Amino acid sequence: MTKISKASQMTAEQSDRRDFFRKTAAYSVSALAAASVMAPVKINAEDDPAIVEEKKWGTTFGYPVTHNLYGQPSPYEHNVTRRYTKLLSSGNYYASIAMCPIHESMGIITPNGLFFNREHGGVAEIDPNEHRLMIHGLVEKPLVLTMDELKKYPSVSRIHFIECPANGGPEWRGPQFPSIQFAKGMMSCAEWTGVYIKDILKDLGLKKEALWMLAEGVDNAHMGRTVPIDKVLDDAMIVWGQNGEALRPEQGYPIRLLVPGWEGNLCVKWLGRLEFGSEPWYAKEETSKYTALKPSGKAIQHFYANEVNSVITSPCPEKPWTDLKKGDLVEIEGLAWSGMGTIEGVDLSFDGGKNWVEASLKGLVLPKAWTRFSLMYKYEGKPLLLSSRARDDAGHIQPTVKHEREVMGVESVYHRNGIFTWEVTEKGEVNNVQVLS
Amino acid sequence: MFKSYHKIILSTVLLASAATSTVCAKYADASRTYSNGKKVIDGGSTYPVKSNKTSAYYVNTKADKGRFTFGRTPTKNEIKAWNIDVMPDGTGLPEGHGTVEEGDSLYEEKCAACHFDFGTGGSGYPALQKGNAYEAQKTLTNQRTSPDADGPIRVFGSYWPRASTLWWYIKTGMPHPAPMSLTNDQVYALSAYILSINEIKIDGEELDDDYELDRAKFLKIVMPNKDGFIPKIDGPHGVENARKFFNDFKNYGNGTRCMKNCFDGKPVLSRISGSGISDYQPPISTKRSLPVQKEGAAGADAPGKKTYEASCAVCHATDAMGAPKVGDKKAWAAVLKKGIDKVYLNALNGVNGMPPKGGTSLPDDKVKEVVDYMVSQAK
Repeated sequence: MTKISKASQMTAEQSDRRDFFRKTAAYSVSALAAASVMAPVKINAEDDPAIVEEKKWGTTFGYPVTHNLYGQPSPYEHNVTRRYTKLLSSGNYYASIAMCPIHESMGIITPNGLFFNREHGGVAEIDPNEHRLMIHGLVEKPLVLTMDELKKYPSVSRIHFIECPANGGPEWRGPQFPSIQFAKGMMSCAEWTGVYIKDILKDLGLKKEALWMLAEGVDNAHMGRTVPIDKVLDDAMIVWGQNGEALRPEQGYPIRLLVPGWEGNLCVKWLGRLEFGSEPWYAKEETSKYTALKPSGKAIQHFYANEVNSVITSPCPEKPWTDLKKGDLVEIEGLAWSGMGTIEGVDLSFDGGKNWVEASLKGLVLPKAWTRFSLMYKYEGKPLLLSSRARDDAGHIQPTVKHEREVMGVESVYHRNGIFTWEVTEKGEVNNVQVLS
Repeated sequence: MFKSYHKIILSTVLLASAATSTVCAKYADASRTYSNGKKVIDGGSTYPVKSNKTSAYYVNTKADKGRFTFGRTPTKNEIKAWNIDVMPDGTGLPEGHGTVEEGDSLYEEKCAACHFDFGTGGSGYPALQKGNAYEAQKTLTNQRTSPDADGPIRVFGSYWPRASTLWWYIKTGMPHPAPMSLTNDQVYALSAYILSINEIKIDGEELDDDYELDRAKFLKIVMPNKDGFIPKIDGPHGVENARKFFNDFKNYGNGTRCMKNCFDGKPVLSRISGSGISDYQPPISTKRSLPVQKEGAAGADAPGKKTYEASCAVCHATDAMGAPKVGDKKAWAAVLKKGIDKVYLNALNGVNGMPPKGGTSLPDDKVKEVVDYMVSQAK
């Protein structure tokens, strides 16, 4: 009882204050210091209005819990979106790509609305009640599952990036994009939930002659890819969850294939069918697109894994150092990833790759996942050539642009993982360059 | 007590030395080989389950023993309905036939709008031929290392190793807006036409207009670039070939961890020529601000907006169809030169490739509303 009466007393006091404030405010609205309601003071030029002025969000209701039942980002974040360009579309925006704003990424998880998406025939909107997964071919017992049945299998959750092997591909013959979103944004990273295919296969009697698996989607593109049985029996998954919720339609709702670390196009979306066979399929985009032509005239096919790679995300053209002053201590930060294993370490260079120092890894370091690296740097206002070079636990190290061109030439389109360099000017502006030494 | 303290110090020392070593593995169980002793096929690492964990993840080791009872056996008809792939040996390739001439007229009707006459491609849509395929195949060693150098020609005829991919592609992927709509005979006819414009011979025979392609002839096609791909993935050794190839880093390059004086002299730089590619939608901005609301008719509830989206955006959302793109100031300035009344009239009566009222049955005032909305977007 005492407490209650105290509380009501306080409320009365507060309302007195508010009355006082309202009356005072009526006389000089903008000249009031928020923290000094009882004793209004004159505001000086050096006082930050963000602090000394009353804000509407502090003096009115916010919106009620009944609003936005599926939460939305703050409207002030509206510039943080995927982006597209006509130059990277096959005639229309049904066969095209939208890039992830990796300069705005935090940690190693991409929010579902920002996950890059590449489509071959638009985003299918599938009714999960009318969708099935069929497994057939060289198995003793072919199987059909409804989505509810599929989700009854024991689930696993894994954090993996998905990268289009064309990430950075337009820059084989030199830098093209004054933007990190377009130079390296054909990738994202999420926690995926689903089932290992090997766990389903245990009951189906996979035949000895089965060396390959065809995965096929049921969308407009009927995208198909051939996966060797080794990967199927290692870590390939059928996933229905993305960062704690159902896959987004752009990612293949209700289910997609996930072959961790391998070319994004192998992670077939809107997955309907897995067929096991003794020969590879030569599926539609398999040799027409996803092959890497070498100077010998021969092209690498079935180029599975995205090789070890890295990029500095801060600074970058979108997030330059133009607001720094000499002597500021600033973090150089970036992303490293390898489809062949776990990031071992990342080296940084300030002179375009002539001399290197080791950066720190930070946060979670997981196989076939984005990994953060960091180095503290005292800004001197001098021009720099900032490069990063990652290595993984399978023994792969990012090659120089020169070495990569010696082996692969400049016509590969796919699988470019040469060392990436930003030029930082005296003013702190950041340009996309390549070091050919 | 003393013993365990001593142990801690020791292990700290070990950890510290491991951290500075360049070969320290993040996960002790990381392996370059599968449990059957074979190398990981992509040249990478695998993480076998040890002590209930794979890398950082705990696993329920009782969950992967099988004996699940979910689902059912598919019927024969169900498998037939979904088993739509076509393999190089003819598996999945149905009987049927069609001539080059039939393919030519089908192409005009269903394909030329995007792939242009004779499959020359354009506006971003892929070319289906670039001359004689046997000659074009020889360009695959071309490298554009200087600005005036010709690149390799990578079209169906010069690049694809198997013809089966073409049949599969047309049947299940084309025409792009309506896949699975062609009959098997139509797919044979279109295949014949595309083979003929690539000047590909079957059994030494050129495909003239009345050449009729069927299943047996299709299986005799030998693509000019059939041996153009590595590793060899066919036959019982295909998977092993891939394993060998990707475990030899020399095949695709690998860096070295040089730390000091890694090249002579100053770095040679390659820069973006001109302003590079910077036509991005939406334009790049990292500002934290409220989205700009367009004034008046352009707002969310503008009259005409819904009708536009339902009936007109198909053609006017991009300039791919030759229609003035909504929001393209230049294109609309050109349209408006004739005056707004002329624009209304054109919209009602049709102009260039656009049928009257864009092919809709909207009342006149609704059409005008849409015009107003489209014009407002270009201001």
